[in-house]
Amino acid sequence: MRRPANIVYGLEDSPPPHVTLFNGVQYVGLIAINLVYALLVFRLAGTPVQLVGSLLAIGMLVLGVGTFLQVLRLGPVGSGYMCPATFTATYLGPSLLAVQVGGLPLLFGMTVFAGLLEVGLAPLLNRLRSIFPPEVSGLVIFVIGLSGGIAGLRAMLGEKALPVSVEEWWVAGLTLATMVALNVWGKGMARMLCALIGLLIGYVAAGFTGMIGGRNIATVEEAAWIGLPAFGHLSWSFDVSLVVPFAIASIAAAMKAVGTITVCQRMNDADWVRPDMRSITRGVLADGASTALAGMAGALGTNTSTPAVGLAAATGVASRKVAYAVGAIFLLLGLFPKLTALLAVMPRPVVVASLLFAVTFIMINGLQVMSSRMLDARRTLVVGLAIVAGTAVEVFPTLSATAPEAARPLIGSSLVFSTLIALLLNLLFRIGVKQTATLKVESAPVDAEKLEQFMETHGATWGARRDVIDRATFNLAQSIEVILDSCEPQGPVEVMATFDEFNLDVRVSYIGPPLDLPDKRPSNEEIMESEEGQRRLAGFMLRRYADRVAATHKAGRSTILFHFDH
Amino acid sequence: MRKPANIVYGVEDLPPLGVTALSGVQHVGLMSINLIYPVLIAREAGSSPEAVAQIVSLSMIVLALGAILQALSRGPIGSGFLCQPVPTAAYLVPSLLAAREGGLALVFGMTIAAGLFEVVLARGLRYLRPWFPPEIAGLVIVVIGMTTGAVGVRTLLGIGASAPPGTTHAVIAVVTLGTMVALNVWTKGALRLFCVLLGMTIGYMATAMLGGFTAADAATISAGPFLGLPGFEHVSWSFSSELVIPFAAAAVAATLKAAGNVTTCQKLNDADWKRADMRSISGGVVADGLATVAAGVIGATGVNSATMNVGLANATGVLSRRVAYAVAGTLAVLAFFPKLGVALYLMPPAVAGAALLFAASFIIVNGFEIMTSRLLDARKTFVIGLSFIGALAIDFYPAAFRGLPIWTQSFVGSSLVLGTLSALLLNMLFRFGVRTTRSLVVEPGKVDAVAIEGFMEAQGAAWGARRDVIDRASFNLTQSIETIVDGCAPEGPLEIAATFDEFNLDLRVSYVGPPLELPDKRPSNEEIMASEEGQRRLAGFMLRRYADRVAATHKAGRSTILFHFVH
Amino acid sequence: MDLLEEKVGGVTVVAVKGRIDSTTAPALGERLTASLAAPKVHVVLDLSRLEYISSAGFRILLLAAKRADETGSRFVLCGVSGKVRQLFDLGGFLDLFTIVGSREEGIAAAQ
Repeated sequence: MRRPANIVYGLEDSPPPHVTLFNGVQYVGLIAINLVYALLVFRLAGTPVQLVGSLLAIGMLVLGVGTFLQVLRLGPVGSGYMCPATFTATYLGPSLLAVQVGGLPLLFGMTVFAGLLEVGLAPLLNRLRSIFPPEVSGLVIFVIGLSGGIAGLRAMLGEKALPVSVEEWWVAGLTLATMVALNVWGKGMARMLCALIGLLIGYVAAGFTGMIGGRNIATVEEAAWIGLPAFGHLSWSFDVSLVVPFAIASIAAAMKAVGTITVCQRMNDADWVRPDMRSITRGVLADGASTALAGMAGALGTNTSTPAVGLAAATGVASRKVAYAVGAIFLLLGLFPKLTALLAVMPRPVVVASLLFAVTFIMINGLQVMSSRMLDARRTLVVGLAIVAGTAVEVFPTLSATAPEAARPLIGSSLVFSTLIALLLNLLFRIGVKQTATLKVESAPVDAEKLEQFMETHGATWGARRDVIDRATFNLAQSIEVILDSCEPQGPVEVMATFDEFNLDVRVSYIGPPLDLPDKRPSNEEIMESEEGQRRLAGFMLRRYADRVAATHKAGRSTILFHFDH
Repeated sequence: MRKPANIVYGVEDLPPLGVTALSGVQHVGLMSINLIYPVLIAREAGSSPEAVAQIVSLSMIVLALGAILQALSRGPIGSGFLCQPVPTAAYLVPSLLAAREGGLALVFGMTIAAGLFEVVLARGLRYLRPWFPPEIAGLVIVVIGMTTGAVGVRTLLGIGASAPPGTTHAVIAVVTLGTMVALNVWTKGALRLFCVLLGMTIGYMATAMLGGFTAADAATISAGPFLGLPGFEHVSWSFSSELVIPFAAAAVAATLKAAGNVTTCQKLNDADWKRADMRSISGGVVADGLATVAAGVIGATGVNSATMNVGLANATGVLSRRVAYAVAGTLAVLAFFPKLGVALYLMPPAVAGAALLFAASFIIVNGFEIMTSRLLDARKTFVIGLSFIGALAIDFYPAAFRGLPIWTQSFVGSSLVLGTLSALLLNMLFRFGVRTTRSLVVEPGKVDAVAIEGFMEAQGAAWGARRDVIDRASFNLTQSIETIVDGCAPEGPLEIAATFDEFNLDLRVSYVGPPLELPDKRPSNEEIMASEEGQRRLAGFMLRRYADRVAATHKAGRSTILFHFVH
Repeated sequence: MDLLEEKVGGVTVVAVKGRIDSTTAPALGERLTASLAAPKVHVVLDLSRLEYISSAGFRILLLAAKRADETGSRFVLCGVSGKVRQLFDLGGFLDLFTIVGSREEGIAAAQ
């Protein structure tokens, strides 16, 4: 592992204490805004404000523990990276649904379920990838942002809530404007902590317009300065109809954890080539464990924080020590009931503004993930129809009432419905994607561009990973070069590439003597001395580059198989 | 203008008559799908089958006229390309609103107003461009797609209809949508091209087989004459100031799309295309607007340049202007078959809904791709994201906006209007502080190529400049600095200024020292290998080639090179 | 494959763009042989715009390094990154050559 140039303090380094502490505070400020998700859900559940304060304190403790779980490597759990936990919009939609159906006990019960499911998924991640290509996971992120934003708005402004006053529009506007303005025009700290500063300004504005009522002020005054949150009220329940929404959120959380940890790996290692599945699996285990723990303790599901990792990349401070500081600060903050009480009385317009700010980024991020691959007609239909379906659920809430009883949980939420549509269409449209492609190469000199194009085009249709296609392209070009140079093939060299989502097999066959694929690298002298040595080097590299090779020779015809794991 | 390799007949070419006629018929087949929009609007207004048939016939006449107007290549009207209009989703939602509020008269009146607005916009297009960066154009398209999708779902599910849809209805919808999707995904050539038309036909057949058409329907279709002149009995006009804003927003969307399609036509016809020809774009938008005016005047609904047909022309390689006349001729003939209109009137809701869903999918994703075609920084994220959420909130939760003052109601009444307006305002607001000139000082002793590239990258993202332009500028900057430092022995630091204004990116490199030679001709390989001088001349040559324009000045010992890139 | 040779101070910098395979390797070999003809010279091979290198290319590089050793010259590679770096790694060549990051470092290392 070589440290990249822009990283000042690598994973294993120990920055001076003041740097560690300052960075810790910065991350906490960045993550704290997401407490708004928890607040929103508890509000909708009609939780009394004192209890909300207590639950938020528990939430902070959970984030602290979650951050530690990720960075400490306890048994099989934890990636070991500085990758703090945060509350997430992913669980917002399902959580709002849960408190509407069965109050807090159901929320906590389902959160435990989601966490355990993520833990269970961790070893299977490799297989999940084929079901969630970028356009589908981008869509899921997009709809998470969309449905989270809309669900939040509806919870705050919905028919059951009080009508929105003009003052509230102004406070919401001011809060959002502050956040946006600082993010667009601010620099350094002001930009990093724009959400937090906007929140503060929102509180001040709300205070001036008398939106924080006497009762709320009393609540804050009554709260103790220091104390442990109460855990006595907790209970759990389970409802089959919520399994699907929470399962989708759980898978989405796992996918996001994979992404975040991959970023951590790349950030810490200049020689990074491909994701290290071991540390990813450990990281997803920690992520799931943190969510399960959240459910048990009385909080919302958590997930790795992408903005925090982004900040680490920007500041160049990726030290494990900083994660300890973040965890410790959260644990500490959980012990100040006055602080959490203050958060608990957050005025409605401030909540709405923070929510809008957060989901904007999620949605656009989803868009960018979606369009990171070229969208052909198939993918266009997958994405387009799924979005229309999701929108339909939101625009016509009566839709699910007309559906048969059994299908209702699937159609009830836009997130669930559009994810399912996307998954089904994605699976369906794979039918007929030709899994085998062939090519004939006549004679020297090798038309490298043609070989490259062959692998590129088919790789794109198959949706194969870039790095695998690159390796296969090299092997194809190198093997044909050597065969034409030295094996004197009679007639054309035939190439056949087969793909089935987990395997990419490239077969090169020709009439002529077999190619030597030695296990051992020829010595430098051998390489320099003769063409033979150089050929053996080629054979050695071909063997090394593929995940498996096999060479057969039958009735004058030689076939080499290069196998790549996908 | 050089004809690209894949184009068989360029815009000025004259293909044989057979090819012309066949291409014309093919285009009309594709265009006929969009006749669903006038049918839906007329049905919303409660029109009789005869009136709907008339509107369909008149729509075809308008489309014929529009195709000819667009093909005019001289004067202020017409882009000169094969870029015909079709009834459009952009006007669908405002027109449905108008049909509900004031019947067809209001639809036609507002359509005229919208068309005139588009003509006005066309004149100012050159100045409006900075207001409509691709991310906003994309957003407008996505919102149109979303609302079209919502109309599709409503039609499909019969929400608001008298009788709830039954199983037959669901089967027809699935068959129709399934056919379209399957043909699009798994077939090639003509089948794929006409997947929507074929899907709708199969939907009709399924409806007939499942007994979805009543005896009354059959009577309606057999009652009318086989041939007939379209009548104008249904035509009258009215105007409502409340609908001005939704129609204006739709006109803006139509303008953006027409401009985009004409630009595509320019690129398709010219392998050496570098920048948009504003005259032909402006003429194209005028023609597009006039076609909409004509639609309102004779009693049809708003039209807009058809992206799908431009795609078809590209796929077949036949871009000849002559095809536009064939399209017009075919449409004009079809306009005299009223039975066609009646058949469209009888379109089962399941079929119409499926077609709308299918179209909406492509509109939405197309919008996404336009939105993300440029680097999205925080500013653009907010411009799109906030406007998008605002737009959807109106559709998803109209009640939240009722608390707002009365004067704002016309702005927050429709998702298209709110989305467009909010994006425009945020975009204008965020343009503050995008400093258009940035400078950098480089000491000859320590040239840091990475830092210089980083400078261009960061500026490019902040300006939302196109990737390829920034790459070229970045190369020119590093290469010129390297050459100047190596060969011109500059005294003191090099000063670099980069200026960006949405259309142009100018790089100025200035220093005290002899000017850099920027030869027109590449030095020979021998010269390059023989001396440093040769290699420097190569650098100068490459710098000149890479920029769209270069200028070198030398004044009072100070040399300045200007690299100009068209954006 | 395009070769661009320039002199920076006393150092010959050869930049390779494109592909080094069995068809292009001889040309590179000739160029390097010529550059390394005199004793005690300094040659930097800039591979930052190299897209592909096959075993034929590695052979040429080995021969050049050997020749440089024999004549007391310095032969340095730079800009080995991404896919190409993987190939060097795979063939076990990363430790065989003097490899540095940027062109400037290469020039400094060769002097």
